[in-house]
Amino acid sequence: MWVIDVVFSLPVLVLGLAILGFTGARTRVLVAARGDIRSLSDLPRAHGLNAFFSVIIPAVASFVLLSLVRLIGNQQGIETLSARTGFWVVLAVAAIGGVSAIRRSSAGFRARVASETWIKSLLIAASLVAILTTVGIVLSMLFEAIHFFRQYSWRDFFFSTDWAPNFRGNSALGILPLLWGTLYVSFIALMLAVPVGLFSAIYLSEYAGPRMRSVAKPLIEILAGIPTIVYGLFALITVGPLLRDYFAQPLGLGGSASSVMTAGLVMGIMLIPFVSSLSDDTINAVPQAMRDGSYALGATRSETIRQVVIPAALPGIMGAVLLAASRAIGETMIVVLGAGAAARLSLNPFEAMTTITVKIVSQLTGDTDFASPETLVAFALGLTLFAFTLGLNVLALMIVRKYREQYE
Amino acid sequence: MTTTANSLLVRDDRTKRRNAAELRFRAYGLGAIGIAALALVLLLSSVLSSGVGAFSQTFITLETSLPEAKLNKSGLRDPAVMAKVSTFGYAPLLRDALLTRIAELGITTSLSDKNVDAMISKEAAASLRDHVLANPDLIGGKVTMDVLADGRIDGYFKGRVTMESAARDGNTSPEALRVAQRLADAGVIETRFNWRFLTAPDASDQRPEAAGLGVAILGSLYMMLVVLVLALPIGVAASIYLEEFAPRNRLSDLIEVNISNLAAVPSIVFGILGLAIFINFSGLRQSSPLVGGLVLTLMTLPTIIISTRAALKSVPPSIRDAALAVGASKMQSVFHHVLPLAAPGILTGTIIGLAQALGETAPLLLIGMVAFVREYPAAYSHEAGLFGEAATALPVQVFNWTQRADPGFAERASGAIIVLLVFLAVMNTVAILLRRHFERRW
Amino acid sequence: MTESISTMAQLKISARNVEVHYGDTIAIKDVSVDIPANSVTAFIGPSGCGKSTFLRCLNRMNDTINICRVTGDILIDGQDIYDHNVDPVQLRAMVGMVFQKPNPFPKSIYDNVAYGPKIHGLARNKADLGDIVEDALRKAALWNEVKDRLGSPGTGLSGGQQQRLCIARAIATSPEVLLMDEPCSALDPIATAQIEELIDTLRQNYCVVIVTHSMHQAARISQKTAFFHLGNLVEYGDTDQIFTTPHDTRTESYITGRIG
Repeated sequence: MWVIDVVFSLPVLVLGLAILGFTGARTRVLVAARGDIRSLSDLPRAHGLNAFFSVIIPAVASFVLLSLVRLIGNQQGIETLSARTGFWVVLAVAAIGGVSAIRRSSAGFRARVASETWIKSLLIAASLVAILTTVGIVLSMLFEAIHFFRQYSWRDFFFSTDWAPNFRGNSALGILPLLWGTLYVSFIALMLAVPVGLFSAIYLSEYAGPRMRSVAKPLIEILAGIPTIVYGLFALITVGPLLRDYFAQPLGLGGSASSVMTAGLVMGIMLIPFVSSLSDDTINAVPQAMRDGSYALGATRSETIRQVVIPAALPGIMGAVLLAASRAIGETMIVVLGAGAAARLSLNPFEAMTTITVKIVSQLTGDTDFASPETLVAFALGLTLFAFTLGLNVLALMIVRKYREQYE
Repeated sequence: MTTTANSLLVRDDRTKRRNAAELRFRAYGLGAIGIAALALVLLLSSVLSSGVGAFSQTFITLETSLPEAKLNKSGLRDPAVMAKVSTFGYAPLLRDALLTRIAELGITTSLSDKNVDAMISKEAAASLRDHVLANPDLIGGKVTMDVLADGRIDGYFKGRVTMESAARDGNTSPEALRVAQRLADAGVIETRFNWRFLTAPDASDQRPEAAGLGVAILGSLYMMLVVLVLALPIGVAASIYLEEFAPRNRLSDLIEVNISNLAAVPSIVFGILGLAIFINFSGLRQSSPLVGGLVLTLMTLPTIIISTRAALKSVPPSIRDAALAVGASKMQSVFHHVLPLAAPGILTGTIIGLAQALGETAPLLLIGMVAFVREYPAAYSHEAGLFGEAATALPVQVFNWTQRADPGFAERASGAIIVLLVFLAVMNTVAILLRRHFERRW
Repeated sequence: MTESISTMAQLKISARNVEVHYGDTIAIKDVSVDIPANSVTAFIGPSGCGKSTFLRCLNRMNDTINICRVTGDILIDGQDIYDHNVDPVQLRAMVGMVFQKPNPFPKSIYDNVAYGPKIHGLARNKADLGDIVEDALRKAALWNEVKDRLGSPGTGLSGGQQQRLCIARAIATSPEVLLMDEPCSALDPIATAQIEELIDTLRQNYCVVIVTHSMHQAARISQKTAFFHLGNLVEYGDTDQIFTTPHDTRTESYITGRIG
């Protein structure tokens, strides 16, 4: 529990030191200037800020570094340094930073440049968070996935059609049934979302008048703002029973409310605004001159759209579809509540099937033992999912970027 | 010069066919928008209609006698001793009170005492006990209290439970509903607005009528605070660097690609990250709003960065030039001029990012926020630290309730969705109003 | 059909009291003009004078702009093109148009030219379509340059070639009238000369109406010239007459370079 104890006194102490540093440096140059700030190369406030950052930034950096050393030590079972030591080291770093900054503050010191260098380093650190997140994602899943593949053959994982985890061991953990469920649900979702999203984008950008647009656009955007748990509940309490009672049972296709069709349709609704707004952007980027050229030849609007606008916007639309596919594959709550939990390789869309994301949730929630393959498989699943979606995203971004260059 | 065989004033067959195709195409477009609108209406109406019941609750007004002999055997009124009487000691008192009331009203019934007991929520005894322990002077006298009716009785008054369904239900019977109806006619049973749904903590599987969103709302609030405090400064700082300072090199390219990819990484992957890094590696507490907030921060960052950069971009270069021309440094021109002008856009983006984070569920399941929590989490405690006490969150509470067997929880889940949607609507409206108010045309 | 009123040629287009409004602003005021067949008619005038707007009335391209309203009569071969029975789609097959900036579709050269015939169903079969495409490209003086690469994208051609491709595209629907909206303004002098030469040959088969901001171009290629100023048709007559002995002082000022 050292982290907690340290955290709650250290930030306050460091902040106190930083404020001391600020006033110290400021007073020092004011004294040196004998109250006439015109003789200073920079404002007293800049000196103060420099001292302030000279305390805070090295202290935070050393804290992060020491924590990392401690945590990695803990992982390896080595006691690297005690909490007390860490606490005093950080305080010492802060104090040294403050004192040296105050000592450097003199009439000729370029304090503004120095403080701006500190600020810039903060800005860079902030933008590195994005990279660190990606690294964190990859490392966290990679390590545990490696643990998993030490205990379970990768061949069985990737090529087995059997998924039957058993917490007493001897589980079958083949990804294929999960992958099938994932792709099947995503396929149905795209079959709904792509035509509906594309046609509404076409209608809104090519046909609708300003009044229609001002009503319909926000309406579709509301769909985009609704959290996925709401869609999940909608699948569970409305769409699932509806499909079961009016389609699956009369047709003799099964009696389960949660099914690939339920999850797919609801996910399709969720993706409509996504496809629609991305397509809208690319359709609007097609130059008006193209349309005029077609109209001038006597083409109707729909001929122009089908034969000139859509082909011209195709790369952007493809990008939108790929991004939507990546969304569908990674979507969790709708399938958790709508698709079911049984791993099954079947063509019947009214049967319950399960997906990669559902199994990640089910293997990692509840009482889990982080050494067993039944738990660790979730990380291998996560890594597969991440690789899949990353591939789709990169491809989509590349296509979209190329398309933008074409018209800019 | 030949004139066309067909006059312009007469449409040839081909043109007619093409115009028909045009109309069909147009109809497809209109149909697509119709489908989207229909889906929205269906979605909202289904959630509203099944969830609105959660905001009202059925109460039974009972005058319960509190015999000294049962509740305070020692006669000392010592709180510690009195607390030894569990809810099992209080439940019979409520049952007797209800039986007395039924008899007073002259309702004849074939219900056994046990069946009458089943009309009162199991939560009622606990609230009576809390009330008595807080006011020991009541012992020996009588107290009039509105206690919760059982979920089935509540369901009957909301139309969820019918005579037919009750006949098939082991937990209630048509006779119990008939008695409840007589009691309601006499004003003993009443269904009214239920603040407890917003304030009470979760309740166990048999007590949907007592379950509330208090802990979940508090947990969501804590997480939003963490996200706001972390994501806003980090996001703004990163955007300033990328938009104003970053040289065009491979590092900046890498960061750019990273951000656009992070925006499209499945949310569940962030849950795995949180579980592996924040809980397993860093040793932070499971189910804590701190971990939840950290995970949501990482998820929200790309959104905030993208909108902040758009806001910075929309400030015309002439402003920067003007600042630089009077001798301000690049840093000063950004912090003194560009940032204040971009602030409304940044704020709007942040609110939209927070709204996204508020509705996020999947990653929170993995970091244990799905746990059953009845204690209101404190923002700080010595053992758990800042935002370290176990909590749940609004969307996770919804998921949690969908996993319960009692149909009363389905209503609760939809009700919680309504609360969530109201929060989101308010946040988005604020964002839109802000944008309208500060909209500036250069 | 109205027979020729001028001694020079048959009357093709006849506009009477045409006014164009964009919302509340008026773009064209009371324009009446008779354009003969088999000749080149140039519209000149300073920018914003309404010459392009008027040109776009002749194939109802202004219909694509919501706030635009056209009143008055425009007759082509004696038929009112703003009659509510007229389908602009059918009209535009008869009245082709070439734009200021070359705007080939992002398709192959062949598909660019074949597009019009395909949508109007002008070809009986594939070979027929090939003939139409070849004929159009020949008429547009582009065939020799592109006959070996009909499958390559039209956007890959040079600016002048692109514009000739657009002319071929317009010709392929066998129109009777060709409208050209400053077709050379985005081109270099050599490409401009090629297009001008082409326009001169097109005159034999089509009624060509060209908007140009270059008086010299109008003088070089047109037989009739109309001078527009501030939405008014100031003067209309034989090109020689307009450039040598203008009746209106505004025309004279423009031609001598004092306004515009």
